Amino acid sequence: MTRYYTLVTALPNLPPLAECKQLPISRIALDKRLTMLSDNDLLQLQLAEKLYHQSELSLENLPDKPLILDWQRKLEKITSQPIRERICSRLEWQSLLAALRYRQEGRIGPESFHGFGRWTGIIRHNWHDPLFGLDTALPFLNQLQPLLSKRHSGELEQQLNTFLWKDLLFVERSFQFTLETVICFVLRWGLAEQHIKSDASLALDSFKRMSEQLLGTPAITQHLESAFEELS
Amino acid sequence: MDNLILALGWAGLYGPMALGAIGSMIGCSLAGQAAAGALLETETGHGRYIGISAMPSSQSIYGIVVMFALNREITLENAPGLAAIGLLCGLALMFSAIYQGRSCASSINVSKIRPEIFGMSLAPAAIVEGFAVFAFIFALVISAGVPA
Repeated sequence: MTRYYTLVTALPNLPPLAECKQLPISRIALDKRLTMLSDNDLLQLQLAEKLYHQSELSLENLPDKPLILDWQRKLEKITSQPIRERICSRLEWQSLLAALRYRQEGRIGPESFHGFGRWTGIIRHNWHDPLFGLDTALPFLNQLQPLLSKRHSGELEQQLNTFLWKDLLFVERSFQFTLETVICFVLRWGLAEQHIKSDASLALDSFKRMSEQLLGTPAITQHLESAFEELS
Repeated sequence: MDNLILALGWAGLYGPMALGAIGSMIGCSLAGQAAAGALLETETGHGRYIGISAMPSSQSIYGIVVMFALNREITLENAPGLAAIGLLCGLALMFSAIYQGRSCASSINVSKIRPEIFGMSLAPAAIVEGFAVFAFIFALVISAGVPA
């Protein structure tokens, strides 16, 4: 097993996800440091990143069944057992949330649902149960379901990302100076990037809402009208 | 057979030095690699990182001292004793240097994130050093019983 003493100590500390307002290292600088990985380990990292942080485009391109087969095929190429487990867990959560959404929107029934991982059979079997009968096995689901039913997708994503962050941090600290440490760091970096982006878009939305509200108030409208009159 | 026993005696004599040096090389290299990475990520405190990375070099010094304590004319009577003390002490020094190097690397990694825990993070490396000192001291004590 190759150990990466220089690389791991050259990676900056990522603050807790909720406190992440700025990335401590840019992607370009991070990629430069990741050149210390061997070719094979770099491929493993890229594969893990592709599976863990899937772009919305890649999710839309394929229907569920071929997509899951594609995930399974790619997962087999990941050699590290703990990393494979983390990715499986991530994809299982993704499938679970997809099932909750499908059911809420009434798009498909249990027979046409294709999910990834251990819970698929249970989900199909308990399709009409509010939490698919998984509330004991996955207590965290209790926190997510109300957010989904209220359509608070931003908060839901944040909660799930915080959960995944802790999971990755635990593995990162269990392995010192190995490829697992590096992969978990890079995956956490990806979660932090998503968090900052979603934070920025949330801020932009709230700014737009606030400016529309402000522009709609009679005092401001009157003030603007008088300003325009003066100008003309 | 006699030659083999004499060869083992010589191995026991030079063992603490050679094995201690091998351990120090590996230990200093591990800690040094970690220190090099920390230099990229920090603005200050570079000197202490490099200082920590030299910690596993002490095992080589202990090895040299034990070698001098065991140094005598090697005969069929004292060769087995020299081999046992020298090789076992050498192995203890070698492993302690390697694991101390790993402890130092971890210490560098965490003190880079929180510099205020620098001293405390060195405790595991100091404990490992303590075991190397045990091996060293008792090798000296016991070497007095080996026939000259």
